[in-house]
Amino acid sequence: MRVLLMSLMLLVAAVVHAQEGFPLDGTWRGQRQDGTGTPVTIVMVLSWDGKNISGIIDPGPDSIQIAKAELVPDGWRVKIEAHTKTGEAISFTGAIDKLGAYDRTITGTWTEGARSYSVRMTRE
Amino acid sequence: MLACAGLGVAIVASFGASRWAPSAAAAAHGDAPPPRFSDGMVRFDRAPDEKGFWSLPSANSLIEEGKSAKMDAQGRLANLADASHVAPFQPWALALYEYRQKNNFADDPMHACVGPGSPRAMMTPGGIRIIQDRNLNRVYILYGGGNHGWRVVFLDGRKPPDPEEVVGTFYGNAVGHWEKDTLVVESIGFNTRFWFSNGGLPHTEGLHLTERFSRPSHDVLRYEVTVDDPRAYTRPWKSAWTLRWVPGDVPEYYCETGRP
Repeated sequence: MRVLLMSLMLLVAAVVHAQEGFPLDGTWRGQRQDGTGTPVTIVMVLSWDGKNISGIIDPGPDSIQIAKAELVPDGWRVKIEAHTKTGEAISFTGAIDKLGAYDRTITGTWTEGARSYSVRMTRE
Repeated sequence: MLACAGLGVAIVASFGASRWAPSAAAAAHGDAPPPRFSDGMVRFDRAPDEKGFWSLPSANSLIEEGKSAKMDAQGRLANLADASHVAPFQPWALALYEYRQKNNFADDPMHACVGPGSPRAMMTPGGIRIIQDRNLNRVYILYGGGNHGWRVVFLDGRKPPDPEEVVGTFYGNAVGHWEKDTLVVESIGFNTRFWFSNGGLPHTEGLHLTERFSRPSHDVLRYEVTVDDPRAYTRPWKSAWTLRWVPGDVPEYYCETGRP
């Protein structure tokens, strides 16, 4: 248990420390609204290995693997693609704001199935 | 840092062999050989009854050996079009470097007194001492600039840790060995909370540094660093500069927010 706790603390510390490297590395949090107008939190954890960006949406038992992600330095445009557990397509397109800040943001459009939402993801 | 920045002196950062030749005006001991321990090992710090430290770095920003680009004392390029010549950047890293250059280094963590980390500390004014602890088989590198950082290089033959198992730090985990009179240091396990060079060159947690310290004469420390960060650069690349021996003690200095 102690080892597990220590491992979790180290993992959290490693994520918290990441702030000046690859602009998408880290944990991003934002909100969209569901069909009834209720806010739904979105969390993305992204990682750059030198060739590819990988990551998951909503970490936990119902996490979704990101299928494709790209960062275009010209305008710092971001595009992320995935599929829900039920097979609906997810896409998020936007651009990074406040590039040099630890709590930089991505402002864009989150599309899930036939619905689109304006979303701002903030890096934690 | 501010003192240098205030000078606003444009320099040409180039790293030809001539840069290692001691300047007669600055050298207190001319071409005198470096001091040594009784068994012949070169000393990187003071000889007995001597006071001094390393300072006056000959470079203000990392730039790939053999390349040149005009830049000022803070590593600001005179011509932004030279950015791609500085290092073999991946596209995102080049774009981020250019952004930082155009942004007047507004996001430089050193503006908030965050330490320079490696290898930037080796070009940060304020004085450096390299203490060889031969009993414990370690080298301590003490930095007077930035926020008084220090690091330990283990020379006891231990293996470097697995990069995936360490929490990144500003100076990484360092192990070293001797190649004749040259101290070779391998470091991994860096965080990304710092800019690893003046001028805003990016790095990632995949950074691996190989540093080579040598003392060709009493007054000259040669520092050479190979940067291997495949997440930010397309291939390993090397940069090098010298520091000068300055008589006296490392001056007292403390960083204040906004005044690195």
